[in-house]
Amino acid sequence: MNSNRLPSLGHRLYSVWFRHVLVYTRNIISNGLPPFMDPLIFLAGVGLGLGKYIVSMDDLPYIQFLASGLLVTSAMYTSAFECTYGTFIRLEFDKVYDGMLAAPITTSDLIVGEILWAGTKGLFFSFAVLIMISIFGVIPLSTSVFAPFVGFLTGVMFGALSLLITSFVRTINHFSFYFTGVLSPMFFFCGVVFPMSNLPRFIQPLAWVMPLSHPVVLARALCTGRFHAWHLLSLLYILALTAVTGAFAVRRLRKRLVQ
Amino acid sequence: MTKSIITVEHLHKSYGDLKAVDDLSFSIGHAECFGFLGPNGAGKSTLMRILYGTAERELRPETKVDVFGFDPLSHELDIKFLSGVVPQENNLDEELNVNQNLLVYSKFYGMRSREAGERITSLLEFFELSDKRKAKIRELSGGMKRRLTIARALLHTPRLLILDEPTTGLDPQVRHLIWEKLRDLKKEGLTVLITTHYMDEAFQLCDRILIMDKGRKAMEGPPQELLDRNIEQYVLEIVSADAAKALSSAQVPDGVRVDRSPERPVFYSNEAHLLRRISKGLGHGEYHLRESNLEDLFLKLTGRELNELQ
Repeated sequence: MNSNRLPSLGHRLYSVWFRHVLVYTRNIISNGLPPFMDPLIFLAGVGLGLGKYIVSMDDLPYIQFLASGLLVTSAMYTSAFECTYGTFIRLEFDKVYDGMLAAPITTSDLIVGEILWAGTKGLFFSFAVLIMISIFGVIPLSTSVFAPFVGFLTGVMFGALSLLITSFVRTINHFSFYFTGVLSPMFFFCGVVFPMSNLPRFIQPLAWVMPLSHPVVLARALCTGRFHAWHLLSLLYILALTAVTGAFAVRRLRKRLVQ
Repeated sequence: MTKSIITVEHLHKSYGDLKAVDDLSFSIGHAECFGFLGPNGAGKSTLMRILYGTAERELRPETKVDVFGFDPLSHELDIKFLSGVVPQENNLDEELNVNQNLLVYSKFYGMRSREAGERITSLLEFFELSDKRKAKIRELSGGMKRRLTIARALLHTPRLLILDEPTTGLDPQVRHLIWEKLRDLKKEGLTVLITTHYMDEAFQLCDRILIMDKGRKAMEGPPQELLDRNIEQYVLEIVSADAAKALSSAQVPDGVRVDRSPERPVFYSNEAHLLRRISKGLGHGEYHLRESNLEDLFLKLTGRELNELQ
């Protein structure tokens, strides 16, 4: 007879998270190396080429401006991939969730565990970027050491948002609309590659509605040490969007998992 | 029967216009092996899912679902904690190896690492999978995957084992191995709930069976008793098409029942000699005279024609 007690909420979330960690760390080289290589390639490309033409952006050396944005976009892309393609495969093809739901795990444990895992990947990816840009002296070590925390928030936010998208998707190919139609424009228009103040005035409010704009603001503040009180609003935006999209994702995915 | 572990009263479940479970009631006692039989689409899997909370029943005042004293609508976790589930599809984690698959589930059940390690070793041994501990899931044969899925369901030493078509698609050796293991487990006091459309499986394993058709209960009781009460003892099947044609309009003596659908007549009787008389003119291999089994009863109840869900 099982002498154990029913696992607590914390333990249940941990065990879902543990499953993802176990899968990810199985191929530690192929999963763990690219996050460090990507920023290196990007910075080399900019440093060797583009950087000669663009010296500064928004009073920052261009390479610093871009690097602080990369901290966030790496987290965005990894969590978005995890919670779209990754989730869809677990949901529809491998039926991993069906199996997990036969154990003492609720659908919300499953989804929240997924979001926390997306946050963890965001943390790790932005940490990798931070290591590389710090080694090459692109950004001096300062409050920037806290930037991976923004990576975590980015991961959690895009994890929740991507799960909500996934809850609508019936065919895996449809995710390309999300990546091309939502994430790519954000990469270019949310202050990663150039300041949002350079956008046409009427587009600016729209850009501020976009989720990516806010973690970029926070990461850049941490990297440059230039803080403003309104940055708190960005933090609030991230938390609110995560809570709202997360709650809807749980509700909608539950309908798909529980008949 | 001792005190019941599962009680279901007036259960209903529909998907759109389709009635998957229609006013079903039954109860299952401690250490009993209870089988659900029915054609594909009869509502068996849905019923299993309702019991452990991954399908929601229709909310009606007369409905009662009780598993270990818990209602799956409000105490899904408590029920899952006391139960092991072997779903119809294996749904093993392809991204993990055999050991890791079990390790992850041990976390789901809140088991300590040491306890989990020991349990995994003994279960792999029990299911003759010890040398596959580090194997990838896709390296396993269908039979190994099935055994691993059952091992996974037993990891936390559940009090109830729910098996949804445990041996569908497996070869006879593996089926017999699984049956043997299930009998061992039953002896240890495990309550087993099984869905199947293999009649021999139900006959071998189940203390009681419930035959479902179109979501409704068609019959319930111990397999042998159901046979004795509801179908003639002997069956004559006509194998050859020519003989079938010749016999299709033949006169039937008293004490013989004939089922003429769909192409070949099948004769039933409690007197073997009456059937032998019918088969007299037929050559060896043109007919098959045997004792009736659950399959005959099942076909009698649910009909020989396919429904739109099969």
